[in-house]
Amino acid sequence: MTNIVVLVKQVPDTYSERKLNESDHTLDRESADAVIDEINERAVEEALKIKEAGEGEVTVLCVGPDRATDAIRKALSMGADKAVHVSDEALQGSDMVATAKVIAGALGKVDGYDLVIAGNEASDGRGGAIPAMLAEILGVPQLTHARELSLEGTTLKVDRETEDGVTHLEANLPAVVSVTEKINEPRYPSFKGIMAAKKKPVETLTVADLGVDAGELGLSGAAATVLEAAPKPPRAAGERVEDDGDGGTKVVEYLAGQKLI
Amino acid sequence: MVGFTESEERQALRQAVSELAHKYGHEYYTGKARGGGKTDELWDEAGALGYLGVSVPEEYGGGGGGIGDLAAVCEEFCAAGTPMLLMVVSPAICATVIARYGTDEQRARWLPGFADGSVRMAFGITEPDAGSNSHRITTTAARDGEDWILNGRKVFVSGVDEADAVLIVGRTTDARTGKLKPALFVVPTDTPGFEYKEIPMDLVSADKQFGLFLDDVRLPADALVGSEDAALAQLFAGLNPERIMSAAFSVGIARYALDKAAAYAKDRNVWGAPIGSHQGIAHPLAEVKIETELAKLMGQKAAALYDAGDDHGAGEAANMAKYAAAEAATRTVDQAVQTHGGNGLASEYGLGTLLGAVRVGRIAPVSREMVLNFVAQHSLGLPKSY
Ligand SMILES: Cc1cc2nc3c(=O)[nH]c(=O)nc-3n(C[C@H](O)[C@H](O)[C@H](O)COP(=O)(O)OP(=O)(O)OC[C@H]3O[C@@H](n4cnc5c(N)ncnc54)[C@H](O)[C@@H]3O)c2cc1C
Ligand SMILES: Cc1cc2nc3c(=O)[nH]c(=O)nc-3n(C[C@H](O)[C@H](O)[C@H](O)COP(=O)(O)OP(=O)(O)OC[C@H]3O[C@@H](n4cnc5c(N)ncnc54)[C@H](O)[C@@H]3O)c2cc1C
Repeated sequence: MTNIVVLVKQVPDTYSERKLNESDHTLDRESADAVIDEINERAVEEALKIKEAGEGEVTVLCVGPDRATDAIRKALSMGADKAVHVSDEALQGSDMVATAKVIAGALGKVDGYDLVIAGNEASDGRGGAIPAMLAEILGVPQLTHARELSLEGTTLKVDRETEDGVTHLEANLPAVVSVTEKINEPRYPSFKGIMAAKKKPVETLTVADLGVDAGELGLSGAAATVLEAAPKPPRAAGERVEDDGDGGTKVVEYLAGQKLI
Repeated sequence: MVGFTESEERQALRQAVSELAHKYGHEYYTGKARGGGKTDELWDEAGALGYLGVSVPEEYGGGGGGIGDLAAVCEEFCAAGTPMLLMVVSPAICATVIARYGTDEQRARWLPGFADGSVRMAFGITEPDAGSNSHRITTTAARDGEDWILNGRKVFVSGVDEADAVLIVGRTTDARTGKLKPALFVVPTDTPGFEYKEIPMDLVSADKQFGLFLDDVRLPADALVGSEDAALAQLFAGLNPERIMSAAFSVGIARYALDKAAAYAKDRNVWGAPIGSHQGIAHPLAEVKIETELAKLMGQKAAALYDAGDDHGAGEAANMAKYAAAEAATRTVDQAVQTHGGNGLASEYGLGTLLGAVRVGRIAPVSREMVLNFVAQHSLGLPKSY
């Protein structure tokens, strides 16, 4: 029986306008719809596949404000068995190191984990470092950027894909894996899954339950401070070329004018 | 009244259905409709996920939810531009009638298939000389030993080519009085003597309409749904879900058109400002938004009453919702086309396809005039004119 913990983050919907608060440059959670990060749906899917291929239990672990229960519920409706939710005002503005410590602390509350599956990068923070930091704190192997994963007994094999190529990794459980969007196509929750989700156990924890030093958390505990933030300037309107038979020439003239050819 | 917010589960269901439907999208739908194809992939995937069987009892593999859940599913498919007309018929009318009035054997035979969408059943009530007036139905069943022999004609029956069977509304002769009384029969589409012919329609729809010819169709005794005497109650049991679903169908189409119109009005710029800033464009869209929301609310009320077991109370609300939703959808599509100018009729924008289709809500399953008759007589107590 494999105990799998999937790390799930709630993020502002990438389809909505995402903003930072002007005062402290933390995420403006009111301005956008909050959804489960898509990469985490894939992480859940991978965990469910392992469970369905053999034996296992899938626990969802989420650090986030109260409304992150929606993201948890989504993962449960897909088929995860239970959830741990760390929610605490003190976490507001936490940096990545703090988040990794909190996740590690919360993992201590899950009785026995064999495999931790995370997304390779969250679509909001885009730090891409939580899985590695977590593995470091836990002292277990990290197999990141997995586009394929297989488990035989307690041996984990991963195809790790980056821009530079593919590496084939192997490690023994327990381990932390992070997956890329190539890993699978996540399932839609079935109606029965949706109805069952509400009845599944969700353990809610605060920082005090974890044995993590609260002084290291939150905006004040962050190692670095955001001094300034500016949105990317909108792209300038393109130039439209009407093709009156000389379209090709005009395009070449434009490219030459930009010193591109 | 339970409240004005849908349960978390209902909202999650809408979300899941909407995501699935958007994976397919309106182009998938029109591609199928124009090429004579069926929306099988979408139907099957929705069925496997239990979305088509949400209201089938759990003991038969269904979701154990209510007609409100099924209506939410139907609305979301339409709102995503993938309207599946057979939803109004197969899981709503046919599955409900069989679940409520079928014998144990009939339930065991059909309900698991409704639960996962593997069974599709059409519903045939309309006849050439009995449309709005179903008292004039002449399709008749006569006993022959244990069997039934069915004879008659039906028109405009949707989806027969996709269906395993058609639930036919006919009549039996009352042995005592000699009078004809309604009876419902499950007729498998491959039964000898049962023939169907497509009626050419000027609609862009993947689900087609058919004329049916029943010529000495021999059926086993258990083709009659439930008991011979309960048929009128059965018929009415199917009609409320049908109207609630028809309302949800129209509301979904209205939402689809309104989403497109609002997006276009925000973006399209003719005089240096988005056209949505002109009140001539904005106000009519605001109006249809209000009408659509009101129709949706009435549909939710009807579903809540029906699911609470109040068939009678649900009747008035279901009729009103069906009427209001069809009107709102017709006006919304009209206004959405207008908002798009020439593009409203360009295939790329996916609205012209709805101009005809949206009017179906005004005609079927019961015409707006017949709903107005119902409200005039039953809600206002006015004398009947026909
Ligand atoms: C309660 C809380 C409040 C925060 N508030 C703010 C704020 O107001 N403003 C602000 O700018 N930043 C805030 N942060 C964000 C924070 O600094 C990082 O964004 C976050 O710690 C993770 O970094 P990342 O998104 O780059 O993750 P990545 O390293 O890109 O994430 C990779 C994977 O790690 C896992 N993972 C990451 N985060 C979590 C999590 N929270 N729970 C479970 N799994 C996770 C997921 O599987 C994810 O796919 C907050 C963090 C927390 C926990
Ligand atoms: C796309 C489509 C799909 C359909 N699918 C099915 C199906 O699956 N199964 C099925 O059985 N049927 C189906 N129908 C048939 C539909 O239910 C009938 O068309 C509808 O009930 C109207 O009947 P009719 O066409 O005979 O009109 P008629 O009864 O001939 O009515 C013609 C007009 O007169 C009006 N009228 C009639 N009587 C009155 C009155 N007393 N007072 C005021 N006005 C009156 C009507 O409102 C209508 O405007 C479908 C129809 C369409 C268009």
